[in-house]
Amino acid sequence: MTQRMTIWRVLPALAAMAVPLGLAEGARAQSKEVIVQDPGGAYGEALRKIMYGPFEKSTGIKVVTVQEARSGPRLKAQADAGKAAWDLAFIFDQETKLLGDCCLAEIDYKKLSESAQTTLAAMPDNLKRPKGVALQVIGVGLAWNKDKYKSGSEPQSWADFWDVKKFPGRRCMPAWSRFTFEAALMADGVQKDKLYPIDMERALKKLAEIKPHVTKWWATAAQPPQLLLDGEADMCMAYTGSMSKFALEGAPVGLTWNQGFVYYDFFSIPKGAPNYDNALKVLSWRLDPKRAAELTSNFPVALPSSVVFDAADPKTSVYWANNPKNLAQAIEWSPDYWGAASPDGRSTNEEHGQEKLNALLAK
Amino acid sequence: MLLLLPAALFLGFIYLLPVIDLIRLSVSGPTVSTFFERVFSVPLYWDSLVRTMQISLTVATLCLLLGYPTALLIRRTSGMTRTLITAGVILPYFIAVLIRTYAWMVLLGRNGPVNKILTGLGLLDEPAQLLFNRGTVLLGMTAVLLPIMVLSIYSSVSRLDAALPRAAQASGAGPIATFWRILLPLTLPGMGAGFLLVFVAALGFFITPTLLGGPGDQMFAMHIVQQADFISSEGFLQALAVVLLVITLLFVGLAGHALGFEFIWGGGKLADGQARAGTSRKAAAPHWRLLTGMADRIVWPILRLLSRLHPAWGRWTVIILGGGVIATLILPILVVMVISFSSASYLTFPPPGFSLRWYEKFFSDPNWMEAFWKSSVIAAASAVISVVLGASAAMGIVRSNIRGKSVIMLLLVSPAIVPPVVLGLSLYSLFLRFDLVGTIWGLASAHAIGGIPLVVIIVSAALQGVDKRLEQAAAVHGASPLTVFRTVTLPAIAPGLAAAAFFAFLHSFDELVLSLFLSSAQLKTLPLMLWADINYQLNPVLAVVSSLEVLLVVIGLALAGPVLARSRAGA
Repeated sequence: MTQRMTIWRVLPALAAMAVPLGLAEGARAQSKEVIVQDPGGAYGEALRKIMYGPFEKSTGIKVVTVQEARSGPRLKAQADAGKAAWDLAFIFDQETKLLGDCCLAEIDYKKLSESAQTTLAAMPDNLKRPKGVALQVIGVGLAWNKDKYKSGSEPQSWADFWDVKKFPGRRCMPAWSRFTFEAALMADGVQKDKLYPIDMERALKKLAEIKPHVTKWWATAAQPPQLLLDGEADMCMAYTGSMSKFALEGAPVGLTWNQGFVYYDFFSIPKGAPNYDNALKVLSWRLDPKRAAELTSNFPVALPSSVVFDAADPKTSVYWANNPKNLAQAIEWSPDYWGAASPDGRSTNEEHGQEKLNALLAK
Repeated sequence: MLLLLPAALFLGFIYLLPVIDLIRLSVSGPTVSTFFERVFSVPLYWDSLVRTMQISLTVATLCLLLGYPTALLIRRTSGMTRTLITAGVILPYFIAVLIRTYAWMVLLGRNGPVNKILTGLGLLDEPAQLLFNRGTVLLGMTAVLLPIMVLSIYSSVSRLDAALPRAAQASGAGPIATFWRILLPLTLPGMGAGFLLVFVAALGFFITPTLLGGPGDQMFAMHIVQQADFISSEGFLQALAVVLLVITLLFVGLAGHALGFEFIWGGGKLADGQARAGTSRKAAAPHWRLLTGMADRIVWPILRLLSRLHPAWGRWTVIILGGGVIATLILPILVVMVISFSSASYLTFPPPGFSLRWYEKFFSDPNWMEAFWKSSVIAAASAVISVVLGASAAMGIVRSNIRGKSVIMLLLVSPAIVPPVVLGLSLYSLFLRFDLVGTIWGLASAHAIGGIPLVVIIVSAALQGVDKRLEQAAAVHGASPLTVFRTVTLPAIAPGLAAAAFFAFLHSFDELVLSLFLSSAQLKTLPLMLWADINYQLNPVLAVVSSLEVLLVVIGLALAGPVLARSRAGA
């Protein structure tokens, strides 16, 4: 009897506590906060330390982060229901077009701070669109464990990545059609200016060759460095940002920009965002050249403006995707191709390619 | 009848309505079948569907083969041993799927104990890649689903009259003949029910194959989550979900036809006021006899040969298999508990040293603490909703003379068999429309969809154990219906109610898949934090959370144990 009583006494008590908590939730939404999509991992920690922590102290606005790898579908669903839940999200280049009309608000550039204006002035027009501003230039390249491949015998191209005789060892690649298809074609001898439109069948045939040597098809940016350093893989197609962070900390990680991919992540404010003005304040904060440069010394993903590049430590900016030296080696990756409708008209090229890649991986 | 109304309204709004909306979206293409054509014309999805069935079938078979000796072992032992073995099966049953899957990742990882032992024995030169293949998916899923099978078989084994095997042996039948002629036929319903429950649950599996599988082990539910990554997939995404739903229901329907739908809620047939349900079982009898006759003709001679072996063989088979099963269920959890005290910053076993640093990290990290607190509040709220609605519905069913009790029961219990991925997807748009995304009550209500069936099953079993004549006697002497309930019925079913509340609480506390769809930035539950960390960085904090959950379940079971035992004795 006594035991039964304890259960009964606890339950209503807990339920009673839920009521004020639930109310507090609703009340807080109106107060000073801003909801920002976040990449998580080491990058997320750097953002918290350099950007959001000081921002909260200085403005009194709480920055709530949502860890989500891909925001597009969420934004669409929120817009369809007429309930935008986020204030600032990062989306792919191709998605600024796909989502522009339905789901994104115009950015009021005039309201941004003065220091942000100087950063913006040095950016090409294509990177500051009415409904999205590029805050991150992202690189995808070839990385390897230096203990495994000593200098002088390091892989330098996707052809080397595919050459398991000359470079024996385990590989890791992203589980996505974008990047892997382009790399496969280059490994198969396609010139880098002739990649698009992608010959998917040819790319898949080449990917089938490397598949037995790929131990892990990864899905989040934090995975490839972990795989490389744990010895699960010796050579990876990986985000240059997370890889170079480890290289800067002295880990045995090598990286080449040759035939790498460079693209931009755009930051947008969803239509009907609950805290539009606060989102602009965060944008101003992140566009400040000094802070943007400091951020990259903690995590080497750069803001694509020459003002920020000039303010940065050259030791870290060698790893930046928009370093002219790196840009010269990389290829111009085409978001337009991947965002375009697929030949059968049922989906985008990206989805179509993804289906085919999944089918190959499942074999 | 009125008692059924609250649950009916609640489930109608939060469960049936979204599912109908899901179906509507899936046929909203240029033509009704556009999206479905894509599902079936792209080999990827078709192959995955076939693969999902294969995996589910294999897992169900493995569970049956391993679960049967375990259930027998529970029956054959007694005293302390029996308590321990039962705990070995029940405990994992209550621990979150996510945590048990994580335990297997630790166990089989490159620096995990299995690799350490194999290299230590010289069987391997260097640690092998044991994870991310079909074998680990099957192993993980079997381990996760095995308790359901054992409990299901045990419920029919325990109902068995102990005199029957003895009578058989007294009449000169050997142990194998007793098994084949008595034990097996009488426990067949339990086996069938267990098999189907495991199979249907496996069809919708998402967490375990995602974490333990390679790219060749994509199950259907994973495609649904993956497709949610593309903006242009609306309609198609819903079509995928509808396909999974229809297939699940199809199998449940077939099973219900053969076994009677009672298998979902574990046997107890409802005394229906009008007609008896489950006549279909009799209709199926002719094929049944044919099948058993054939099996008899083939297997019996083989068993006769086996019976020349020493009788101890049978006992040892049960002990070794059953013991092995218990070890597989418990071992991963123990390894995780040891690792939670590791001093290393990465996962390695045995730990290089022991420390409390990860416990410190957990208790000093406001994010983890907040998640823990919010999960508890949500689970409590969800338990309250489930118990209030579920218990009144159970009263409504058991204590009234309405027609079609089985149909109503089936509807009330059906959320338990709908794949969570399908439920989560269908709820997302409803939640957006009514501003419920990321609210405590929203999440608690969503979790209650799965909590209500648990409560309905447990409470109606408890109610059936209450002598109706007691209530009638009280009423005859002038007690109002409310007084009857308060003074007669409630005390009698209180243990059942308490157990139901505990299960509903745990169900919500462990829930991940619905939360993945329905939570928000401000509302992170414990399973969501665990999921993010497993995907982003494997570290010993996860082991700490897992150990604490095990502790919680042990305490909960210790509190509820006596209550449960009493309710079982009463029923």
